[in-house]
Amino acid sequence: MGDKVFMQGNEAFAEAAIRSGCKFFFGYPITPSSEIPEYYAKKAPSEGLTFIQAETEVSAFNMVAGVAATGKRGMTATSGPGFSLGCEAMSYMSAAGLPSVIVDCMRPGPADGEILGSQGDYNQLTKGGGHGDYNTIVLAPYSVQEYADFAPLAFDLAEKYRNPVVVASDGTIAKMMENVEFPEKIAPKGRSDWACDGINGRDHYNDITTCGDGPEQWEKYNLNLQSKYTKIRENEQRWEEIQTDDADILIVAFGSLSRVCLTAMRIARENGIKVGIIRPITLWPFPVKAFEKFADKDVKYFVTELNAGQMVNDVKLAVNDNKKVEFYGRLGGITPTPVELYKKLCELYK
Amino acid sequence: MKSELIFSGIGGQGTILMGKMACTAASKKGYNVTLSPAYGQEKRGGRASCQVVISEEIGSPIISEADTVLVMDEKSLKDYEGKVKSGGTLVINSSMISTKATRKDIKVVEIPFTEIATKVATAKSANMVALGAVVKSLDIITLDDAKEVLKIKMKPALVDANIKALEAGYNFVK
Repeated sequence: MGDKVFMQGNEAFAEAAIRSGCKFFFGYPITPSSEIPEYYAKKAPSEGLTFIQAETEVSAFNMVAGVAATGKRGMTATSGPGFSLGCEAMSYMSAAGLPSVIVDCMRPGPADGEILGSQGDYNQLTKGGGHGDYNTIVLAPYSVQEYADFAPLAFDLAEKYRNPVVVASDGTIAKMMENVEFPEKIAPKGRSDWACDGINGRDHYNDITTCGDGPEQWEKYNLNLQSKYTKIRENEQRWEEIQTDDADILIVAFGSLSRVCLTAMRIARENGIKVGIIRPITLWPFPVKAFEKFADKDVKYFVTELNAGQMVNDVKLAVNDNKKVEFYGRLGGITPTPVELYKKLCELYK
Repeated sequence: MKSELIFSGIGGQGTILMGKMACTAASKKGYNVTLSPAYGQEKRGGRASCQVVISEEIGSPIISEADTVLVMDEKSLKDYEGKVKSGGTLVINSSMISTKATRKDIKVVEIPFTEIATKVATAKSANMVALGAVVKSLDIITLDDAKEVLKIKMKPALVDANIKALEAGYNFVK
């Protein structure tokens, strides 16, 4: 680890990805993600990186699929409109078991929407987005440091499970500047047993396929995928609990908005209301385990999101409708202030 | 200790640069710093503002009410006068703003940044006059902290003139 650097979120992620041995970037610029391709393009000559500005996100995502098939680390970064175009490739990469990393700097939609902080892509990212029964791991950072830390983590998880991993940031986390400490640079890893990279010392060529032959084989293929997802659900749920021990009300929030909740929680506690926070870090798998220990406690939930209410459905499933779950969301790129959240919380639970 | 600041102006006036310098000065002293910028597509002439949070613990990047607000143009005054915490400070660039602030529960400081900058350096240093005035309102960063950052961030040839501007802004506020 080195010294702390005061840096913007997107640039910090790009630097951390380069240090994680990701030598390939394919993308099409879109606010608020564009500093990631910009940083890669700037560093490409001196770091020996491959940077391609594709003609559309459709191409960029498929280029990522291509490089992933060779066992090399590759990524793209986009925002909602671009992610929608990439969803076909997300489905194919999931079926083919291609480990890739995709950053979605969410912005409020639908359609072009605005460019400010938003969490409107929660359903798209966690419920598939593309066609078929597939899931991708989704990591939601809440600080510049965590954004950077998720670069190596995303590649490690992608390779561990041979599955795409999405890092879900937004206009706030992407543009925010904070101090960040980077990991040491690692060398790109060696050959993967399954990769399509020529004979490369093996006695056979590898094939990457997305196809079963007939319904029975195709069902078996799907069941294998499902058993992988079960394993990921068991092993990779991540969340943070903040002052939950004595809490009467638990705020559930992720990403940029969970930062606002930290201050809202402090205001509530100064006013004698015992509030804690459950912050989902993996949006998929959703951290249902976080809610188990509160099943027998007398707690109420306050879910807040920068959308019309998407994660709140996963919270309701996690608590089996046994607890009161209230929701408050802002739309269009508006992030509530800590005081606004505190007042809403008082209004709902007075 | 915690300080929440808003810098607002027009792209090209250096509002985000001021925010970055305040952050750098505070982070050198071990504080957590967060800068959230907001700007239009234009490189110059569009809206440009940033919210800065300096604190011992990590918290909201979005500010409910700021301890100090710096407004560089008329529209910024209209947009952000209401965001100053009661008892907080509103620093107004009177070189560009003729409207008077209406709040009575805050400290209002009017300074002709451009005229002062022109006197001690050049008009380009108006934002360092502004930074000096903002620093005066803070406990968390001192004038010396700001000077240190300026020495690191600026080309050596520009340091002396900008330090003069910084000091002039700082000393203007009583």
